[in-house]
Amino acid sequence: MFLALREIGRAKARFGLLVSAIALLVFLILFQQSLQNGLLTSFTGAVKNQSAPVLVYSVDGQRVLQASVITPDLEQRVRSTEGVGEVGAIRQGTFTGAPLTESENFDTSVIGYDAGADGEGLGAPASLSEGRLPTRAFEGVASAADARNGYGVGDVVRIVPGDAEISIVGIAQEAQLNVGPTIFVSNETYLELVAAVNPDAGVPPPNVLGVAPAVGVTDAQVVEAINGQSLELDALTRSDAAAKTPGVAQVQQSFAIIFLLYALVVPCVTGLFFLIVTFQKAGALTLLRAIGASARSLVWSLLLQAVIILGAGLALGILLYLPVSQTRLGGLELQFEEGAVIGWSIALLALGLVSSLFAARRVLKIDPMEATTGRGVGQ
Amino acid sequence: MNALELTDVRKVYPVGDSEVVALDHASLTLGQNEILALVGPSGSGKTTLLSIAGGILSPSSGKVVVGGEDISDYSNGQLTRFRQEKVGFVFQSVNLVPFLTAAENLFVVDELGPRTGKPARATAGKLLDELGLAERTKNLPSQLSGGERQRVAIGRALMNDPDLVLFDEPTSALDTGLGAQVMELIRSEMKQRGISAIVVTHDPRITEYCDRTVQIVDGELSA
Repeated sequence: MFLALREIGRAKARFGLLVSAIALLVFLILFQQSLQNGLLTSFTGAVKNQSAPVLVYSVDGQRVLQASVITPDLEQRVRSTEGVGEVGAIRQGTFTGAPLTESENFDTSVIGYDAGADGEGLGAPASLSEGRLPTRAFEGVASAADARNGYGVGDVVRIVPGDAEISIVGIAQEAQLNVGPTIFVSNETYLELVAAVNPDAGVPPPNVLGVAPAVGVTDAQVVEAINGQSLELDALTRSDAAAKTPGVAQVQQSFAIIFLLYALVVPCVTGLFFLIVTFQKAGALTLLRAIGASARSLVWSLLLQAVIILGAGLALGILLYLPVSQTRLGGLELQFEEGAVIGWSIALLALGLVSSLFAARRVLKIDPMEATTGRGVGQ
Repeated sequence: MNALELTDVRKVYPVGDSEVVALDHASLTLGQNEILALVGPSGSGKTTLLSIAGGILSPSSGKVVVGGEDISDYSNGQLTRFRQEKVGFVFQSVNLVPFLTAAENLFVVDELGPRTGKPARATAGKLLDELGLAERTKNLPSQLSGGERQRVAIGRALMNDPDLVLFDEPTSALDTGLGAQVMELIRSEMKQRGISAIVVTHDPRITEYCDRTVQIVDGELSA
């Protein structure tokens, strides 16, 4: 420890630069992780965080809420499927929302569900961070990310054309759809909105059905049973419905490649740094071996330095990430990803240490005899 | 008890299909508090003998006893511990750890073995004081002159209170005047502490500071 700390203390600029490089990479990794999660949550949060455990799409809808149409025949087949408990119609459309407190209009996803007297129902937000569920006509729960844009509790959003107004009575976290303001309303309100915007539209069929399995039946079992009813039905569990929304896999794949590259860069930078330092101080290491330092103690000293430098880089990177993770990026709300911080910290520490083993190998090859010739390892 | 006893020591290096004999049946005894000059041309086996005596190298055959301890068949780990506790080295070129101060270059010896902490710091300070480096304890090697660096190296070699100190061309990088000063210092420190030493050199003037001179040519010793 004495040697490791003294060397770091005497070469602050050199080790400081490495800490800065690692911190920058850690910051970029965590920021991108927040960006990915924020993007996916904003894209499919309303699907993932609604109350129906199973969603049934029409195959033609290709797992897009608005594109899916459940005909009365398909609805009947679902309702008659063994293992199906409760069934609720879910409708979704995109409207132009004009919050009365704002001068700007927003494309707003409105999700209609079969709300009971207490506002509960399949397709309702799974949990609220503020307010209550809609219990009266023209009430709605909005996505939390848009509360500051005139979608907060007490705000009124006018749907244009038609000038129907929705009073926001509740807020749900991570409940956006298609990276925009999202409002959950009862199906009655939804149909009123459709009629207000387009009086000739008639009564649109449900886009998807929310299904709760009967008692003793699992989500997976009911999914299998419904899909067995008709080739036109595409039942998915709630998490699958979010994960299999078109585009989600591609986004995850793109980010996975970026993360893989970062995960390679950090150990490469660390490994090369310590390898170069080992070559540079070869003479000193050889001298220490000659006067009685064991190879093991020198390797421990090197690994201790790697842990200190990686730890400092991780800490600094997380400190940089902390304020950025509390911000909004356009329509995206970023969050501090604790799991990512812990996971990446462990992974980068392990990878950095593994890469330092290349330098450790060079240390183990030092022959103390070389102290008598003035040579060092690798020379 | 003698400080060093080499009996019929041989060191052979394999080179391709043949062998190079670096040390050929060398026998040498070094008494207590004796300073011996080992003189010979380049490639004569001086450094090999020094390395075997100091436990840096193992002999191919023969017996090596340092301060009553037979190290002939020691493993690498045992030799490392032996170097840590029983011998001091002053090398020709690489002698100090560049990122440690003068005091830390001495104190590091304590860090390599069973740590004593404060007593070792006190010993390091006392040694540097005796060597005329009391004002330079916090200087890095790069801030010291060649002579000062060698004095720090001498101090480091004495830190573990060794039975034997081995000097490999200790004045080769110094001018004549400075070389003489360093040799005087080596002699006085060794005699004062009753420590035996071998000084490897090819400079005949160095032998004046030693009690005895042994010649080595082609790996063979002659008085």
